[in-house]
Amino acid sequence: MVAELKYEISQNAYIKLVLHALKHKTTAVNGILLGRVKPQNESVVEIIDSVPLFHSNLALLPPREIALIMIEEHYGSEGLGIAGYFHANERFDDAELGIVAKNIGDHICRYFPQAAVFLLDNKRLEALPKGKDQSLVIQLYIRDASKNWKLAGPDGGSRLVIKEPAANVVLSDYISSEKWQDVVDFDDHLDDIKMDWLNPELFK
Amino acid sequence: MVSKTEETQLNRLENQVDNGGGGAWEYLCLARKLKVRRPEKVLKYGLSILNDSKKRSALGPEEWTLYEQVAIAAMDCQCLDVAKDCIKVLRKKFPESKRVGRLEGMLLEAKGLWGEAEKAYSSLSEDNPLDQVIHKRRVAMAKAQGNISAAIEWLNKYLEIFMADHDAWRELAEIYVSLQMYKQAAFCYEELILSQPTVPLYHLAYADVLYTLGGLENLQTAKKYYASTIDLTGGKNTRALLGICLCTSAIGQVSKGRNKEDKESPELQSLAAKALEKDYKERADDKHGLLTCVLRSLKI
Repeated sequence: MVAELKYEISQNAYIKLVLHALKHKTTAVNGILLGRVKPQNESVVEIIDSVPLFHSNLALLPPREIALIMIEEHYGSEGLGIAGYFHANERFDDAELGIVAKNIGDHICRYFPQAAVFLLDNKRLEALPKGKDQSLVIQLYIRDASKNWKLAGPDGGSRLVIKEPAANVVLSDYISSEKWQDVVDFDDHLDDIKMDWLNPELFK
Repeated sequence: MVSKTEETQLNRLENQVDNGGGGAWEYLCLARKLKVRRPEKVLKYGLSILNDSKKRSALGPEEWTLYEQVAIAAMDCQCLDVAKDCIKVLRKKFPESKRVGRLEGMLLEAKGLWGEAEKAYSSLSEDNPLDQVIHKRRVAMAKAQGNISAAIEWLNKYLEIFMADHDAWRELAEIYVSLQMYKQAAFCYEELILSQPTVPLYHLAYADVLYTLGGLENLQTAKKYYASTIDLTGGKNTRALLGICLCTSAIGQVSKGRNKEDKESPELQSLAAKALEKDYKERADDKHGLLTCVLRSLKI
């Protein structure tokens, strides 16, 4: 059943995560995906929003635990739950899903078995302004029957779709205008609680 | 490591320069002093001075320091031609300089020519075996190539000689954390706390690592270090206040059914909770409900 699952991500959720990674080019970053099984179609998980989490010490528990409680509570009242995890590696050449990402993915699967893990595809991100490759700059990882995280096949592109077809164009625009400076993550919030990890003004 | 006041000062200067209010040289000096990594701004402002012969000669002997600073920023932004030009100027001025030699090594690194960079550093360190920068470049190169175990090895070797280098201990701790080697990370923070006991960042990081390790003893120690962080930061550190609440809850869970006399006094966590509530009410009221939810989940 899980092998049939498709993931549909919204433009805002997608762009927010990529901009977060661009804001912190020299470190690994991560984020939480919010969504639900699509009410009209049980074989689709829709990722409706995302929350950028941290840009330092991703493997420490205390900030993560606080973040998850707050995120779940906030989005729970909107009918959304934690549906996946996003990770961007520190190094450009590192295209592997590391142990920290896998562990967090496993943790999320305990509460939402259809959870997905997205890994930032650095090469595709680099190629984006050149306009040649218009596929999403994230890779989809799903857990197989033995609970190992696997890159969603060569046709992975069709299992992960974005609702808005012009998303990459919008993303490229934001990159040129350095919009990533405005992204606030949970680390920023913990350093100064006035900073809002919901980023309400980001796409206004 | 930069304090909040220093960061605010730097940001203010940055905004000033960006809006045409001048102060580029002050910004560059401050950035150099604080050792922050803002290559795009340093490159932009630095070049605006270097490309203007009047401004350049007004710097006097500091001109060469600026060339070095801009070269490094250029490499960080992958503007290798700019970096090459700056290094050429420095090479001309200081033909025998080992310091320029290091920059040349870094340029090889920036080009991804690891073998040649290593050769360059080896020959430089023959005459200067105690050159700290070269040692650290080796660690950086190992990290850049994804050879984390080599990076750890080099960093440990470096720290055997230069055990007072706090940044190196922090770097090692963070590498260990990224590999989930929390015990080793804890050791690094212990060294840092021993040598600089009044720096709250180390207490906080140590507490976070101990909490992550788990187990009753570690949780109890973590709680103590969150408390010392609160002490050192005048009660203003949100992470430490939340840490107290997390520890209390976790200790409660781990010691369920144990002798009630072992229970710690509840004052610390209720004080922490009160401080958090007050802060959120005042400065982040829209998130106050979520904080209450956190405290409720932790049964505070």
